[in-house]
Amino acid sequence: MTWTDSFRLAVAGMWANKLRALLTMLGVIIGVGAVIVLVAIGKGASNAVASRIETLGTNVVFVSPTAGTPFSESAISYINQAIPFPVTTIGTMNTASKVSTATTSGGAQVVGTSAAYWKLGALSLAAGHFLTTNEVSQGQHVAVLGANQAISLFSGQNPVGDPLMILGQQFTVVGVLNSVGQGPGASQDNAIFIPITTASPLIGTNQLSEVMVKTGTPNQASLVSDLLTNLYNNRFGSGSMVIASEDQVLQTLQATRATFTALLAGTAAIALLVGGIGIMNIMLVSVTERTREIGIRQALGATREDIILQFLLEAMVISLSGGILGIGLGSGLVVLSPVLFKTPISFSPQSIALSFVFSTAVGLIFGLYPAFKASGLEPIQALRYDG
Amino acid sequence: MIRVTSLIKEYTLGGDTFRALHDVSFEVSEGMLAAIVGQSGSGKSTLLNILGGLDRATSGQYWLNGKNVGEFAPDTWAHERNRTLGFVFQSFQLIPTLTAWDNVALPLVYRRVPLKERRERARRALSEVGLANRLGHKPAQLSGGQQQRVAIARALIGDPRVLLADEPTGNLDTQTGEDIMSLLQELNRAGRTIVIVTHSQDIAQQCRQVIHIQDGRVVRDALLEEVSK
Ligand SMILES: Nc1ncnc2c1ncn2[C@@H]1O[C@H](COP(=O)(O)OP(=O)(O)OP(=O)(O)O)[C@@H](O)[C@H]1O
Ligand SMILES: [Mg+2]
Repeated sequence: MTWTDSFRLAVAGMWANKLRALLTMLGVIIGVGAVIVLVAIGKGASNAVASRIETLGTNVVFVSPTAGTPFSESAISYINQAIPFPVTTIGTMNTASKVSTATTSGGAQVVGTSAAYWKLGALSLAAGHFLTTNEVSQGQHVAVLGANQAISLFSGQNPVGDPLMILGQQFTVVGVLNSVGQGPGASQDNAIFIPITTASPLIGTNQLSEVMVKTGTPNQASLVSDLLTNLYNNRFGSGSMVIASEDQVLQTLQATRATFTALLAGTAAIALLVGGIGIMNIMLVSVTERTREIGIRQALGATREDIILQFLLEAMVISLSGGILGIGLGSGLVVLSPVLFKTPISFSPQSIALSFVFSTAVGLIFGLYPAFKASGLEPIQALRYDG
Repeated sequence: MIRVTSLIKEYTLGGDTFRALHDVSFEVSEGMLAAIVGQSGSGKSTLLNILGGLDRATSGQYWLNGKNVGEFAPDTWAHERNRTLGFVFQSFQLIPTLTAWDNVALPLVYRRVPLKERRERARRALSEVGLANRLGHKPAQLSGGQQQRVAIARALIGDPRVLLADEPTGNLDTQTGEDIMSLLQELNRAGRTIVIVTHSQDIAQQCRQVIHIQDGRVVRDALLEEVSK
């Protein structure tokens, strides 16, 4: 029997029991679909963290207070004095706010900060200028817009010089940032930067949300991280601050990713195992139902190999069809995910390739036993079988 | 063409051994139309299944077309069945999910004949048995006689030298049975060796060699000349 004929026969075998084949595929469909969605969610989440690090530049140590730890403007000079080499220290005061123009309104992450934020080297301007030292020291009502904000509030027209309501007060737009693009830096694109001196009274606090210490080298960054950890542990007790260098953040990220991957692999393995057992079960039923057919084929010249191939290919066709439908389902959910989940999500072509390989392998592995069972029948017993 | 010597077939059922064939020996020469006759349970089907390589003798020798097929491995037998033998069964043994056309073409599938040629030859084989207008029918949509003619077309499509038929008319009415018999006789006149298992004295009389089996033994093996005496 030629390969083409074996394949044709396998497809016909599946087609003869369409509904049954579809139900059998369900395990594989759900397994593969889940893997694709989970991989996309996992990738999206780690991209979001990575983007923050990337947009804030390298060699940065992040310091943020846990609930109840005092952390005012004076912390900046306190940190500067404690570090024995020159660093750039920037504080931010973040809040979510409603923003509006005369015609449009929306929401934004408002970041109150100083002119030094620019020195992090993460931003670039599309128009106007970033917050200046003067504007910050005088507490002026000026704002620099992330790329998405400029688009959604001003429909892409140059807004420099235009008025904008933030935190209930009128600000003047002085600058617009370039888009950092999809994925990395997306949060930056949705932000609006205003002077920290203006933000403080409007938010009604002098508590900083976060301090970033930019150093010259990765070594200096880990030194600073250790130093500040000791300092704050002694001053406010351990756990009073969350302090992490970019290295540490990356390490945590790696660890989280590894855990997530392991979890995912486990889920996928279980789903595919269940799918595979379903396929084996239905193939055993099929072999029994078609015992006479097997006998007839043997009488007319089918070899062991012909019979094995017929049933093995049928199992693989079922499994691979399930895989393809699963990829379709998973990809559909990923495409719709911005609407459905509102989480950052990122499509992974590798997960599709992997799904193909795995669903083929499942058909192969779980189809083997039924196929060998079919091929081991004695022609005369198979011909006499009445089922 | 066919030569068996000292064939023994034993069935083991729950520890008991039952001997269905005792020391069976005979020969069927090329181009012969032979009948195997005997009472129900005498071992006719057992013998024919061994001749067709569908079952194995417990001991004894079997030569088919000069080859010691009794010693063949399963896949070698599969090949031999495909090339040398055609089968006609009492219960037709057609695959119910396939059309008459595809059923007839099956032996060629296992001979790696390309699809187009297969279909063409199957169409011709079906028209030779008078079923040119039943190509797309499934077995369940055909009468018993039509199904048996599909089975005969299938047995002949590979142009085998030997045709083995186990009660080919057993499930058919007298008239249809006679039609099938004359079809087989015609095929025999064209040079094919045919072995028919039958109950019917009528059919046996139309054959040129009659092998009588009783309780698993050959009790009489007569050529036509002796029969007519
Ligand atoms: N698979 C089997 N297991 C055990 N005994 C069997 C088996 N097949 C056949 N037999 C026995 O062997 C003997 C011969 O059976 P066989 O089918 O060859 O008879 P037969 O001559 O073809 O009869 P009939 O004319 O009724 O078809 C019977 O007694 C039967 O019970
Ligand atoms: Mg019988």
